[in-house]
Amino acid sequence: MNEKRNGKRTAAGTVILGILAALAATLLLTGCPKKAVAPVAPETPSAVQPQAPEEAPGEPVMRVEPALEGAGRAAGTTSAQAVSAIEETDIFFEFDSFDLSPTAKKTLADKAAYLKAHQGIKVQIEGHCDERGTVEYNLALGERRAKAAYEYLVFLGVDPKRLSIVSYGEERPVDPGHNEEAWAKNRRAHFAVSQGY
Amino acid sequence: MKIARKSRIVFFLFLVACALQATGSAQQVHIDVEAPGFARLKVAMPPFAGDPATAQSLWKVCARDLAITGLFDVIDPASYVNPAPAPRIALQSLKDYALIGADYAVAAMVTIQDGAVRVRFHMVEVSTATVVDDTLYTASAGEPHRAVHAFMNRLLKEKFGLEPLFASRIACIRKTDKVKQLHLMWCDGTGQVTVKGGGGLVLNPAWSPDGRSIALVSYYRNNPDLFLFDRASYRLRLVSGERGINTSPAFHPSGASLGVTLSVDGNPEIYLLDLATRARTRLTNSWATDTSPSFSPDGSMMAFCSSRAGNPNIFIMNLATRDARRLSFEGKYNTEPSFSPKGDLVAFSHLGSDGRYRIALVKPDGSGFRVLKGSGRGDESPSFSPDGRLIAFASADGNIYVTDLSGSIAIPLTSGGGYSEPSWSPILKE
Repeated sequence: MNEKRNGKRTAAGTVILGILAALAATLLLTGCPKKAVAPVAPETPSAVQPQAPEEAPGEPVMRVEPALEGAGRAAGTTSAQAVSAIEETDIFFEFDSFDLSPTAKKTLADKAAYLKAHQGIKVQIEGHCDERGTVEYNLALGERRAKAAYEYLVFLGVDPKRLSIVSYGEERPVDPGHNEEAWAKNRRAHFAVSQGY
Repeated sequence: MKIARKSRIVFFLFLVACALQATGSAQQVHIDVEAPGFARLKVAMPPFAGDPATAQSLWKVCARDLAITGLFDVIDPASYVNPAPAPRIALQSLKDYALIGADYAVAAMVTIQDGAVRVRFHMVEVSTATVVDDTLYTASAGEPHRAVHAFMNRLLKEKFGLEPLFASRIACIRKTDKVKQLHLMWCDGTGQVTVKGGGGLVLNPAWSPDGRSIALVSYYRNNPDLFLFDRASYRLRLVSGERGINTSPAFHPSGASLGVTLSVDGNPEIYLLDLATRARTRLTNSWATDTSPSFSPDGSMMAFCSSRAGNPNIFIMNLATRDARRLSFEGKYNTEPSFSPKGDLVAFSHLGSDGRYRIALVKPDGSGFRVLKGSGRGDESPSFSPDGRLIAFASADGNIYVTDLSGSIAIPLTSGGGYSEPSWSPILKE
């Protein structure tokens, strides 16, 4: 309950707060419906330790310096329509390449047209790789894929201030498979609406 | 009667000799493990005596540690004349151990007292009956393996003139569910612990030369940013959060600066980031992707990965002149170089013509390319041990392994999968 209370609390208000608190507790106990944005996911029980049992003197947790706490970028509100027009279609790349295929350019042209017609929308372009490359190189390659899409959208007249990029390297595959079919789906740039109506 | 007394005297003299040998061990001539033709030494090690559960688990730790050094093979106890637990190596058993080809015999007595684990190690050179070690090592009940580490470190230092390897740790990344977190263990896989936090996606760990911090990439701010993780306070300090990627940290041996990959000026380039002033010096300047710096121990050279020749390959730069030379010419995908702490080799991830990754080695002058056998399942992310004799790597089975430079051993440190990107610490004083 982050809402600010002003004025004195009435008896009825106290009852309502009590009911809300009970509801919140029930929700917590039964589990949130889903999509609770938890920065740290719970750890699975560690049956995988091959060595001496893990000694946890108070489970270690790293914390960012105080000035940065809660520094994740807040997402704005978005409409379902904008989300599907922008987010539905990814563009795809060849292995170890960030060249835009004719199909990718056509997809980007559609997105540019939509973005020009809907000026309130801001988009984050995510660059992704398949699992075959190595981690550090794929972080750089994912960046170049996102940047290639970014530059083409800017070339098509989209205001660069409405675009941002992020590389996820090989960390966020859409298909967890270990075959060419999966890899082809994972070598992609994805477009996420970060703000707009 | 007379004969018995005589043999008793002989035995007494023998004990005196043993004691002299043991106390004089610091003056022993070191065994040169890098001499050509060095063959791993064979060790007979009957089950440890004492507290059964702890004795059994410490025997396994000790057998693994002996193997990890790349210096020893432990002979399967099933082939011993007497495979019963032994608190000490009995003089009369030496002939049995000699018969199965043992160079050394090791026994231990494990007791638990007042919350501490006490392990009395007894190590004897079989051919000469020389006592190599006869010492009581203690450790806390929470970390009983530290007693084995202390024994191993003493053995490495005094018998072989090597660094105390078991005073080093390995940092890596552990994936559970969809979360990647920092994971720490001793270099033999004991004392494993996952450090939670960091926003759910942590990558590219790299130790500082003083062992006090680990540079890493975290998506805490929804962008690959560079942080320093302080091991004492568990705090993460942002060191580079530029627009674009801030990845692949590697400490300069001075500890004062960090080699990093940034795309703030356009495409991914390597910079040297001064940790005190935050000033950055750009080291590469090419249209291509440049990433994964690793510095020579004297700080004069930097190995890195660049796609400037079309495919990712390993290059080496003279940091004074900024001249870069290509080091890898085999295959089409060579990444993640790691400079040996001895300065004599660069290890990297090499994609073979069979589509499988292996750890490859090349000398800094570009000669001597060779590929290590490894796990055979696909090996990436090499990281040298602080003495430069061993390499930790991540296998495609999701576990961290250790190999020696001959590639004849590949010992898993983890099980169950989900582990990647090992980084071997310097020798730690803790």
